[in-house]
Amino acid sequence: MALTTSVDEVTGRVPITVMALEGELDASNFERLIEEVRGLYERGSRHLLLDLGGLAFIASSGLVALHSIVRTMRGEAPPDPESGWGALHSLGLDVSSGSSQTEVQLCAPQPAVARVLQRTGLDRLFTIHPDRDAAIAAF
Amino acid sequence: MTGAEPARAAGDGVARRLRLPAALERIADARQFVRSAAAEAGAPVECLEDLVQAVDEAATNVVLHGYGGGPGWLEIAAERDGDEFVVTLQDGAPAFDPTSHPEPDLTVPPLARRPGGMGVHLIRESTDRLAYRPRPGGGNILTMVRSLRPDRKEDG
Repeated sequence: MALTTSVDEVTGRVPITVMALEGELDASNFERLIEEVRGLYERGSRHLLLDLGGLAFIASSGLVALHSIVRTMRGEAPPDPESGWGALHSLGLDVSSGSSQTEVQLCAPQPAVARVLQRTGLDRLFTIHPDRDAAIAAF
Repeated sequence: MTGAEPARAAGDGVARRLRLPAALERIADARQFVRSAAAEAGAPVECLEDLVQAVDEAATNVVLHGYGGGPGWLEIAAERDGDEFVVTLQDGAPAFDPTSHPEPDLTVPPLARRPGGMGVHLIRESTDRLAYRPRPGGGNILTMVRSLRPDRKEDG
Protein backbone atom coordinates (compact mmCIF):
# COMPACT_ATOMS: atom_id res chain seq x y z
CA MET A 1 0.00 0.00 0.00
CA ALA A 2 1.49 3.28 -1.07
CA LEU A 3 1.10 6.62 0.64
CA THR A 4 -1.29 9.19 -0.78
CA THR A 5 -1.95 12.67 0.53
CA SER A 6 -4.74 15.14 -0.02
CA VAL A 7 -4.79 18.75 1.11
CA ASP A 8 -7.63 21.05 2.16
CA GLU A 9 -7.50 24.63 3.36
CA VAL A 10 -9.94 25.44 6.16
CA THR A 11 -10.48 28.49 8.30
CA GLY A 12 -10.70 28.17 12.04
CA ARG A 13 -9.43 30.92 14.31
CA VAL A 14 -6.46 30.82 11.94
CA PRO A 15 -6.06 29.46 8.42
CA ILE A 16 -5.35 25.73 8.73
CA THR A 17 -3.93 23.41 6.12
CA VAL A 18 -5.36 19.93 6.56
CA MET A 19 -3.33 17.12 5.04
CA ALA A 20 -4.95 13.69 5.08
CA LEU A 21 -2.56 10.73 4.90
CA GLU A 22 -3.75 7.47 3.45
CA GLY A 23 -1.82 4.21 3.22
CA GLU A 24 1.51 3.37 4.81
CA LEU A 25 4.30 5.77 5.79
CA ASP A 26 7.65 4.02 5.63
CA ALA A 27 11.29 4.41 4.62
CA SER A 28 10.38 4.43 0.91
CA ASN A 29 8.16 7.51 1.06
CA PHE A 30 8.88 9.56 4.21
CA GLU A 31 11.18 11.97 2.37
CA ARG A 32 8.45 12.72 -0.18
CA LEU A 33 6.11 13.65 2.68
CA ILE A 34 8.71 16.02 4.13
CA GLU A 35 9.07 17.66 0.71
CA GLU A 36 5.31 18.04 0.30
CA VAL A 37 5.04 19.83 3.62
CA ARG A 38 7.99 22.03 2.73
CA GLY A 39 6.06 23.02 -0.40
CA LEU A 40 3.00 23.88 1.70
CA TYR A 41 5.11 26.04 4.00
CA GLU A 42 6.69 27.83 1.04
CA ARG A 43 3.20 28.57 -0.30
CA GLY A 44 2.25 30.17 3.01
CA SER A 45 0.86 27.45 5.29
CA ARG A 46 1.66 28.12 8.94
CA HIS A 47 -0.73 25.78 10.75
CA LEU A 48 -0.88 22.14 9.71
CA LEU A 49 -3.31 19.45 10.76
CA LEU A 50 -2.26 15.94 9.78
CA ASP A 51 -5.35 13.74 9.56
CA LEU A 52 -4.06 10.23 10.25
CA GLY A 53 -7.45 8.51 9.90
CA GLY A 54 -6.41 6.69 6.72
CA LEU A 55 -2.87 5.87 7.83
CA ALA A 56 -2.61 2.14 8.46
CA PHE A 57 1.09 1.98 9.31
CA ILE A 58 3.93 4.24 10.42
CA ALA A 59 7.57 3.15 10.53
CA SER A 60 10.30 4.80 12.58
CA SER A 61 11.25 6.69 9.41
CA GLY A 62 7.74 8.15 9.48
CA LEU A 63 8.51 9.48 12.95
CA VAL A 64 11.58 11.17 11.49
CA ALA A 65 9.21 12.74 8.93
CA LEU A 66 6.93 14.06 11.69
CA HIS A 67 9.99 15.54 13.38
CA SER A 68 11.13 17.23 10.16
CA ILE A 69 7.61 18.52 9.49
CA VAL A 70 7.55 20.26 12.88
CA ARG A 71 10.88 21.93 12.08
CA THR A 72 9.68 22.97 8.64
CA MET A 73 6.42 24.45 9.93
CA ARG A 74 8.36 26.39 12.56
CA GLY A 75 10.53 27.87 9.83
CA GLU A 76 13.60 25.99 11.04
CA ALA A 77 16.40 24.73 8.84
CA PRO A 78 16.00 21.22 7.45
CA PRO A 79 17.20 18.80 10.09
CA ASP A 80 20.37 16.82 9.86
CA PRO A 81 19.06 13.24 9.86
CA GLU A 82 22.02 12.12 11.93
CA SER A 83 21.28 14.53 14.73
CA GLY A 84 17.53 13.91 14.57
CA TRP A 85 15.97 13.89 18.00
CA GLY A 86 18.75 15.97 19.50
CA ALA A 87 18.09 18.72 16.97
CA LEU A 88 14.42 18.72 17.83
CA HIS A 89 15.19 18.87 21.52
CA SER A 90 17.43 21.87 20.87
CA LEU A 91 14.45 23.77 19.47
CA GLY A 92 13.58 24.36 23.09
CA LEU A 93 10.48 22.23 22.99
CA ASP A 94 9.92 21.05 26.51
CA VAL A 95 8.72 17.61 25.55
CA SER A 96 9.20 16.13 29.00
CA SER A 97 6.71 18.42 30.69
CA GLY A 98 4.11 18.01 27.96
CA SER A 99 4.15 21.59 26.75
CA SER A 100 4.42 21.09 23.02
CA GLN A 101 4.45 23.04 19.83
CA THR A 102 1.10 23.95 18.25
CA GLU A 103 2.03 24.57 14.60
CA VAL A 104 1.50 20.90 13.74
CA GLN A 105 -1.30 18.88 15.30
CA LEU A 106 -2.59 15.38 14.64
CA CYS A 107 -5.99 13.77 14.55
CA ALA A 108 -7.69 10.39 14.32
CA PRO A 109 -4.72 7.99 14.55
CA GLN A 110 -5.61 4.32 14.18
CA PRO A 111 -4.63 2.14 17.16
CA ALA A 112 -1.41 0.80 15.57
CA VAL A 113 -0.18 4.31 14.77
CA ALA A 114 -1.18 5.65 18.19
CA ARG A 115 0.77 2.80 19.79
CA VAL A 116 3.94 3.71 17.87
CA LEU A 117 3.62 7.37 18.85
CA GLN A 118 3.21 6.32 22.47
CA ARG A 119 6.02 3.75 22.47
CA THR A 120 8.49 6.31 21.18
CA GLY A 121 7.33 9.29 23.23
CA LEU A 122 6.29 11.26 20.10
CA ASP A 123 2.80 11.57 21.58
CA ARG A 124 4.27 14.14 23.97
CA LEU A 125 5.27 16.44 21.13
CA PHE A 126 1.85 16.64 19.49
CA THR A 127 -1.64 17.50 20.53
CA ILE A 128 -3.58 14.49 19.22
CA HIS A 129 -7.29 15.07 18.62
CA PRO A 130 -9.94 12.38 18.22
CA ASP A 131 -11.26 13.79 14.95
CA ARG A 132 -10.85 16.53 12.40
CA ASP A 133 -13.56 18.82 13.73
CA ALA A 134 -12.16 18.79 17.26
CA ALA A 135 -8.71 19.50 15.89
CA ILE A 136 -9.82 22.44 13.73
CA ALA A 137 -11.62 23.97 16.72
CA ALA A 138 -8.44 23.73 18.79
CA PHE A 139 -6.07 25.67 16.53
CA MET B 1 -3.19 -19.98 26.48
CA THR B 2 -4.53 -21.61 29.61
CA GLY B 3 -4.58 -25.30 28.58
CA ALA B 4 -1.64 -27.60 29.18
CA GLU B 5 -1.33 -28.20 25.44
CA PRO B 6 -1.29 -25.17 23.17
CA ALA B 7 -3.81 -25.44 20.39
CA ARG B 8 -2.29 -26.65 17.14
CA ALA B 9 -3.53 -24.66 14.22
CA ALA B 10 -3.52 -25.82 10.64
CA GLY B 11 -0.10 -25.03 9.27
CA ASP B 12 1.51 -24.93 12.71
CA GLY B 13 5.22 -25.53 12.38
CA VAL B 14 5.20 -25.09 8.60
CA ALA B 15 6.99 -21.87 7.78
CA ARG B 16 5.90 -19.68 4.91
CA ARG B 17 8.81 -18.00 3.15
CA LEU B 18 9.31 -14.87 1.08
CA ARG B 19 12.51 -13.82 -0.66
CA LEU B 20 12.90 -10.19 -1.71
CA PRO B 21 15.54 -7.95 -3.23
CA ALA B 22 16.95 -5.50 -0.66
CA ALA B 23 15.07 -2.37 -1.73
CA LEU B 24 13.03 0.08 0.33
CA GLU B 25 10.20 -0.14 -2.23
CA ARG B 26 9.83 -3.87 -1.46
CA ILE B 27 9.49 -3.62 2.31
CA ALA B 28 5.72 -3.17 1.91
CA ASP B 29 5.78 -6.72 0.50
CA ALA B 30 7.49 -7.94 3.67
CA ARG B 31 4.80 -6.28 5.79
CA GLN B 32 2.00 -7.73 3.69
CA PHE B 33 3.56 -11.21 3.85
CA VAL B 34 3.79 -11.16 7.64
CA ARG B 35 0.31 -9.62 7.98
CA SER B 36 -1.20 -12.37 5.89
CA ALA B 37 0.78 -15.20 7.53
CA ALA B 38 -0.14 -13.99 11.03
CA ALA B 39 -3.80 -13.55 10.08
CA GLU B 40 -3.84 -17.09 8.69
CA ALA B 41 -2.50 -18.31 12.05
CA GLY B 42 -5.38 -16.59 13.81
CA ALA B 43 -3.28 -13.83 15.37
CA PRO B 44 -5.31 -11.06 17.01
CA VAL B 45 -4.97 -7.66 15.38
CA GLU B 46 -2.62 -6.25 18.06
CA CYS B 47 -0.26 -9.19 17.56
CA LEU B 48 -0.41 -8.90 13.80
CA GLU B 49 0.32 -5.17 13.90
CA ASP B 50 3.27 -5.67 16.25
CA LEU B 51 4.78 -8.33 13.97
CA VAL B 52 4.31 -6.06 10.94
CA GLN B 53 6.09 -3.24 12.81
CA ALA B 54 8.97 -5.51 13.84
CA VAL B 55 9.59 -6.93 10.36
CA ASP B 56 9.41 -3.47 8.78
CA GLU B 57 11.98 -1.98 11.13
CA ALA B 58 14.29 -4.99 10.91
CA ALA B 59 14.12 -5.19 7.10
CA THR B 60 14.61 -1.44 6.74
CA ASN B 61 17.74 -1.62 8.90
CA VAL B 62 19.12 -4.40 6.70
CA VAL B 63 18.47 -2.46 3.48
CA LEU B 64 19.80 0.87 4.73
CA HIS B 65 22.55 -0.13 7.14
CA GLY B 66 23.31 -3.79 6.35
CA TYR B 67 23.58 -3.40 2.58
CA GLY B 68 24.12 0.37 2.77
CA GLY B 69 21.54 0.90 0.02
CA GLY B 70 23.41 -1.46 -2.32
CA PRO B 71 22.11 -4.68 -3.89
CA GLY B 72 21.25 -7.67 -1.74
CA TRP B 73 18.49 -10.00 -0.67
CA LEU B 74 16.23 -10.68 2.29
CA GLU B 75 14.43 -13.86 3.20
CA ILE B 76 11.57 -13.87 5.66
CA ALA B 77 10.06 -16.95 7.26
CA ALA B 78 6.87 -16.77 9.28
CA GLU B 79 5.33 -19.56 11.33
CA ARG B 80 3.14 -20.27 14.30
CA ASP B 81 4.82 -22.17 17.12
CA GLY B 82 2.22 -23.15 19.70
CA ASP B 83 0.97 -19.96 21.34
CA GLU B 84 3.66 -17.84 19.71
CA PHE B 85 4.37 -16.51 16.24
CA VAL B 86 7.93 -16.53 14.93
CA VAL B 87 9.30 -14.28 12.17
CA THR B 88 12.84 -14.97 10.99
CA LEU B 89 14.73 -12.51 8.82
CA GLN B 90 17.85 -13.65 6.96
CA ASP B 91 20.19 -11.55 4.85
CA GLY B 92 23.64 -11.71 3.30
CA ALA B 93 24.87 -8.35 4.57
CA PRO B 94 27.96 -7.80 6.74
CA ALA B 95 27.44 -9.06 10.26
CA PHE B 96 25.38 -6.80 12.48
CA ASP B 97 23.68 -7.78 15.71
CA PRO B 98 20.74 -5.46 16.40
CA THR B 99 20.14 -7.11 19.78
CA SER B 100 23.46 -5.64 20.91
CA HIS B 101 22.23 -2.16 20.03
CA PRO B 102 22.01 -0.27 23.31
CA GLU B 103 18.54 0.37 24.62
CA PRO B 104 17.73 4.10 24.53
CA ASP B 105 18.51 5.84 27.81
CA LEU B 106 15.02 6.24 29.19
CA THR B 107 16.11 9.08 31.48
CA VAL B 108 16.73 11.16 28.34
CA PRO B 109 13.54 12.69 26.93
CA PRO B 110 12.52 10.47 23.98
CA LEU B 111 13.00 13.25 21.46
CA ALA B 112 16.56 13.85 22.58
CA ARG B 113 17.51 10.29 21.58
CA ARG B 114 19.15 9.52 18.28
CA PRO B 115 16.70 8.49 15.55
CA GLY B 116 18.71 5.40 14.60
CA GLY B 117 17.82 3.84 17.91
CA MET B 118 14.11 4.13 17.35
CA GLY B 119 13.81 1.25 14.87
CA VAL B 120 15.47 -1.25 17.18
CA HIS B 121 13.55 0.22 20.09
CA LEU B 122 10.30 -0.41 18.23
CA ILE B 123 11.35 -3.99 17.40
CA ARG B 124 11.93 -4.62 21.10
CA GLU B 125 8.65 -2.94 22.04
CA SER B 126 6.73 -5.03 19.48
CA THR B 127 8.10 -8.48 20.36
CA ASP B 128 8.57 -10.74 23.36
CA ARG B 129 11.96 -12.18 22.36
CA LEU B 130 14.70 -11.34 19.89
CA ALA B 131 17.55 -13.63 18.97
CA TYR B 132 20.48 -12.98 16.65
CA ARG B 133 22.98 -15.35 15.14
CA PRO B 134 25.44 -15.01 12.26
CA ARG B 135 24.33 -16.84 9.13
CA PRO B 136 26.57 -19.74 8.16
CA GLY B 137 28.38 -18.69 4.99
CA GLY B 138 27.86 -14.99 5.70
CA GLY B 139 25.02 -12.72 6.69
CA ASN B 140 22.63 -12.48 9.58
CA ILE B 141 19.66 -14.30 11.06
CA LEU B 142 17.31 -12.36 13.31
CA THR B 143 14.47 -14.23 15.01
CA MET B 144 11.54 -12.22 16.37
CA VAL B 145 9.00 -13.95 18.58
CA ARG B 146 5.69 -12.61 19.81
CA SER B 147 2.91 -14.14 21.88
CA LEU B 148 -0.29 -14.74 19.91
CA ARG B 149 -2.25 -13.05 22.70
CA PRO B 150 -3.33 -9.45 22.14
CA ASP B 151 -0.94 -8.22 24.86
CA ARG B 152 2.72 -9.06 24.86
CA LYS B 153 3.72 -11.36 27.70
CA GLU B 154 5.61 -8.67 29.51
CA ASP B 155 2.64 -6.31 29.25
CA GLY B 156 0.46 -8.68 31.25
